[in-house]
Parts: sequence; C-alpha cells; structure tokens
Amino acid sequence: MTQEISALMDGELEGREAEAALSACCGDEDRKRTWYLYHAIGEAMRGQAPARLAMPANVFEKLRQQATVVAPRMRLRPAAVTRVALAAAASVATVGVVGWLGSQGGNPAPVPVVASKTTDQAIQPVSSTTIVPAPALSVQEYLVAHRQIPSPDLYRPVTNTAPAVAR
Amino acid sequence: MRKRRVLAGGRRWLPALVLGAACGAYAAPPSDALGWLQRAMDAARDSSYAGVFVHTNGDRISTVRVTHLNSNGDEHERIEALDGPRYEIVRRNDEMFCYYPDAKTIRLDRRVNARFFPSLFRAPAAVIAQSYDVKLGSLEHVLGYECRWIVLEPRDSERFAQRLCSETGTGLVVREKTFGLHGQMIEQYTFADLKLGPHIPRRDVKSIFEARVKQWITDAKPREEAKGVDTGWEVEKLPAGFREVTELRRTLPGRPHPVSQLIFSDGLASLSVFVEPNAAPTRTTESSSEDGTTTFFARPMGDELVTVLGEVPLATAEEVAASVGHRP
Repeated sequence: MTQEISALMDGELEGREAEAALSACCGDEDRKRTWYLYHAIGEAMRGQAPARLAMPANVFEKLRQQATVVAPRMRLRPAAVTRVALAAAASVATVGVVGWLGSQGGNPAPVPVVASKTTDQAIQPVSSTTIVPAPALSVQEYLVAHRQIPSPDLYRPVTNTAPAVAR
Repeated sequence: MRKRRVLAGGRRWLPALVLGAACGAYAAPPSDALGWLQRAMDAARDSSYAGVFVHTNGDRISTVRVTHLNSNGDEHERIEALDGPRYEIVRRNDEMFCYYPDAKTIRLDRRVNARFFPSLFRAPAAVIAQSYDVKLGSLEHVLGYECRWIVLEPRDSERFAQRLCSETGTGLVVREKTFGLHGQMIEQYTFADLKLGPHIPRRDVKSIFEARVKQWITDAKPREEAKGVDTGWEVEKLPAGFREVTELRRTLPGRPHPVSQLIFSDGLASLSVFVEPNAAPTRTTESSSEDGTTTFFARPMGDELVTVLGEVPLATAEEVAASVGHRP
C-alpha cells in the first residue's frame, strides 16, 4: 500500500488506481500517517520545514527514524572526533559548497560538499542536524595540484606574455 | 627514529626510473604476470595509439581524447577534455603544455604526478609487486581487441585492488578498474574507441587550440615549481611500499604563499601531503571526504594545516597525516 501512496504522490497513478489509492490513503489512521510522512519527507528534502503541515504528533517520531535516507552519504564516525563528512545534495542548506574536479578529464562536476558536524549526532534527520559553520575546504584545489589537472583556478594572472611553443 | 635524507638521495624515485627498458612492446606475450605488467607499462610509453576513453571516479564521469605517438624514443601526446571546460594538454615526455583557450593561457608544467591513461604507472613492475600480489586473470574481448586481465591484489589494507586489461598484441592497457575495501568498483578507465598504431599522424599530437587564439598568455611558474625544493617537512612513518617521488612548493589559489607538497607513490597509487599555515579563521577540526578513489583528509597541526589527498583508503591518509613532522 505504501508503494501506491508513494506513486500517487509522484503522479504516477491514473484513473481507477489513483481513486483506489486516494480512498485508501484516508481509509485508516496508519495510511493517513504514511501519507503525511511521505509529504513531510518530501518537504524536508526540498528544504522546507515540514512543520507547516498539520501532522499527527507521531509523524515527527517516524520522520526521525526514517529521515536518514535523505542523507545517504553521511557516515557514522567514532564519537569525540569532529569530522567533516560528505553530505548529500539534499542537505546542502548549511555549508560552503566545494567544487570538485572531474578527475583526469577535469570537469567541474556538481558535487560534494564538505560539511562540518558534530558526530554524536551523526545519524539524525537532516532537518535537525546541527551544522557547525566552518570555512569550506576546497578539495578541488588540492586535487588539481595532486593530479596536475588544468583548472581555471590555476590560470592566475601572469605578466609574462612570451609565446609558448609546443612541438 | 628519524632518518636523514638527501634531496636527490637513493630513497627517491625519479621519473627516469619509469623510463627503464624501452623494449618489448610488440614482443610476444610473456608467460608470467610480472612480465605482463611490465609490458603494459612499456606499451603505454613506447607504442602509438589514438582513442577516446571514459573515466568514472565515484560520481564523476569524464570523456577524454588521447593521441599518443612514440617517435625516436620521445613521447608525444595530446590530451583533450571532451566534457566541461575546454582544455588540451600537449605533452612531450615530461614537459606539459596545457592550453586553456577560454583564459587564453598556456600553462607550462612538468609531469610530476599526472596520470595519463593508459599510462598509470610510477615504478617498475618489480617494485609494484612488493605492494601488490600480481596475477593473471581471464581473457576478454574489449573494443574488438583481445585483452588479458592483470589482477593486482594489495598485500595490505593501505591501498586499493586494481585490475588492468592488457591488449594481447601490444600490451596496451585498454581498461582499468579500481576496487574499494569492500570489493566495490570505485574507479574505471575504459577506452570507448581505440586505434592502435603504429600509423598515428604527427599532426594529431600537436595543439589544435594554438591557432585559435591570437595572443596566448604563458604561465611558466608551474614548471619552475615542479623542479622541486627541500620543503623541510617529512612523513616519519610511511605506509609500507610508499616512497617519496618528489617535494615542491606549489602555488594554490587564494593563498599568499606557496604550499609545501610532498608526493609519495607505491608505483600505482599516489598521495600528496600538503603543509600550509593554518590561517585565520583557524581550522580546529579534522576533515575528510571520499569519492571514488579520491580520498581527502585535513588535520590541524599546531600552526599548520596538514592535508593528505590521494588514491588511498581513508585510514592510509589519516596514518600519513598523523606522521608529518619537521625534518631534523
């Protein structure tokens, strides 16, 4: 049933299927909660506060249990060490984005972000993760130096304008 | 216990080492795995080829055109990025001319740690075999060629497993895969189109961008920096198999002074250690990220910030970062 509710939300159901799912969604308390929960997760992923929905109280509890799925790249770290972890794009709201060069090819790809966060909260819904503001480290700059990849960042102004000849 | 080192001392590998015996690229396939590995290494340098390869590393994919010609023992290569911002690298042996047409700039550099697939090796096969158990795998049909897998299993957990598919006729590596600590594939190079020499036109390894810009700006500083200096830093406890390739001071964006960079390699995997002032706002926490084979770990150390970046597991990067100190 939850699959149908999910599909309904995504507009994937038509006609009778949709009708069935719609009536089902309000049919009992469990399904109603699922309906709310899915919406809340969707809202959270879009960076909106789920609180604006009038939700049954236990939805927040369920959200707390489930929401880690929206931040799949967060890694559980040993306590007592503060780390920067890769965070999924869904949780970007908070941190300095680090551009990331595409390997040997050197394409700036939309990517990983370095987020600093305290680890005793390593697994928590994104909406309530405490992000410690820290200056972003640009992994790209070090990667470019390590791999000697051409990068716009490296084309600093120079005064020498003698022609270079590659033969 | 610290060991004293001389800048050009015996513990270093000079790039010249990789230019060892320049023969055998077209010889009959050897019977042993090490022979295959050495032949693959030689073929990347000595044979001529043209193709397009796809590089997948973590979430990132890039497509690159490579044309390589060996003429009288000199390597001539042209590399062009087919995705993203346009650039090309024209390489003659270790001299690199990086054309960046949007910035009208040519950056002169010397190959220190750049990997140009299918040239992935930094040390002779026998040295690589100290860190990896080298075996022969199955035959496979790739891009119309027959290739033999060379399987490199790490002898410890300090590095990743790799597999290379070596074309049986020339030895050239046509596909490479790197596997994470749980056996999952994290990086792949694969030709999508490949023409094996020897008939590669000379014009195909020359710049095609050069004529498109009237007045190029030349940045020769990277080449100066690549000559290397004694940075005064060292890694006291290197993971087994890793040796220092070189050390230098590199200019990185947004920093008033060059950053010290020490480069280490086990012959396949490499890592860089960067040491720079921990400028305000001072970083007080450790940072790490992993994507594909690219591992990044930064650690404040007194007034300095130590950053390790390389194709190694995170634990290896952490181990190295914890062991950086002043050279006595």
